[in-house]
Amino acid sequence: MLPKKELLILELLVSEGSMYGLQLVERSDGALKRGTVYVTLGRMESKGLIESEQETPNPAAIGLPRRIYHPTALGERMLRAWTTFTRAVAWEVKP
Amino acid sequence: MDDVHTRSGVGGEAVTPGTRLLKIAPLLFNERFIATVVRPTIADLQSEVAAAGPDHVKRLRARCRGYSAFWMLILVAPFASWSDDLPNIAAGRVAVGSAVVTLTVMTLGAWTAFVTAAGALIAFLIHAWYERHPSEIAMPPDAPWRSPQINFSSTDVAGNVGGLIFVVGSVLIVSLGLPSVFWFLLAGTIAACFVAWGLAAWHSRARREDWTCAGRPRRQLF
Repeated sequence: MLPKKELLILELLVSEGSMYGLQLVERSDGALKRGTVYVTLGRMESKGLIESEQETPNPAAIGLPRRIYHPTALGERMLRAWTTFTRAVAWEVKP
Repeated sequence: MDDVHTRSGVGGEAVTPGTRLLKIAPLLFNERFIATVVRPTIADLQSEVAAAGPDHVKRLRARCRGYSAFWMLILVAPFASWSDDLPNIAAGRVAVGSAVVTLTVMTLGAWTAFVTAAGALIAFLIHAWYERHPSEIAMPPDAPWRSPQINFSSTDVAGNVGGLIFVVGSVLIVSLGLPSVFWFLLAGTIAACFVAWGLAAWHSRARREDWTCAGRPRRQLF
């Protein structure tokens, strides 16, 4: 089973491409929170659904480089399978 | 990323927002958690402060959002389901729970702490109940789903134990704001339970006698 937040993150990453954590929060219309989004992203990364890399640091900038996230092949397959499954179940349930 | 606005610390050296948080983090989290969760959170804080430009209000707002995200992370981290490799996970949970309870008692009083704890417990109960016994209340076919989170009023329950948990929780929430009506609400709740029991018994008898409620699906109390 794919939890709702992980499903949302996968949908956003697959449909809109690679994103930073803060971008995911902004695009989620309040479904993802700043304080917890990286915990969810970390969990998804450990499951192999997404992967991340640090942005190329700008030598003129002060501060930490951000991480950019993108779906893995497993994540995309998981999203397709889950979408197919939920559609099939909805079709079975509807008269 | 644009330049992050810095300010002077002790000794006049430049201090980037989040520098102190980065120093605190190794005391609380392991290396992996810092790399995957803490550093990106602080990087967001710094990039938002940078994007705010010279506007003091925007910068202050960005700082507030970033710092609150960090402290929320401190509260959430010990309970994160994938953080099994965090050192002393149980101790962390006890420490965070104790700190929250102590701070609530010190700042808002024992009564508020008790009601908060009871409310949290009831929230867990009602969510657990709802997961196992989803409501059978008729909903519009295209009703948008939204997570109830901690919002009691958006949790769908029916006339069963889920509904009772909802009522008891609502009584506790109202009692927090109006402690003087607590006994009235408690008495009302107990009286309503008796009325509900009487109605359930009447419906059950009427169904047996194949009277006005014949053909209705059986209501499950548990």
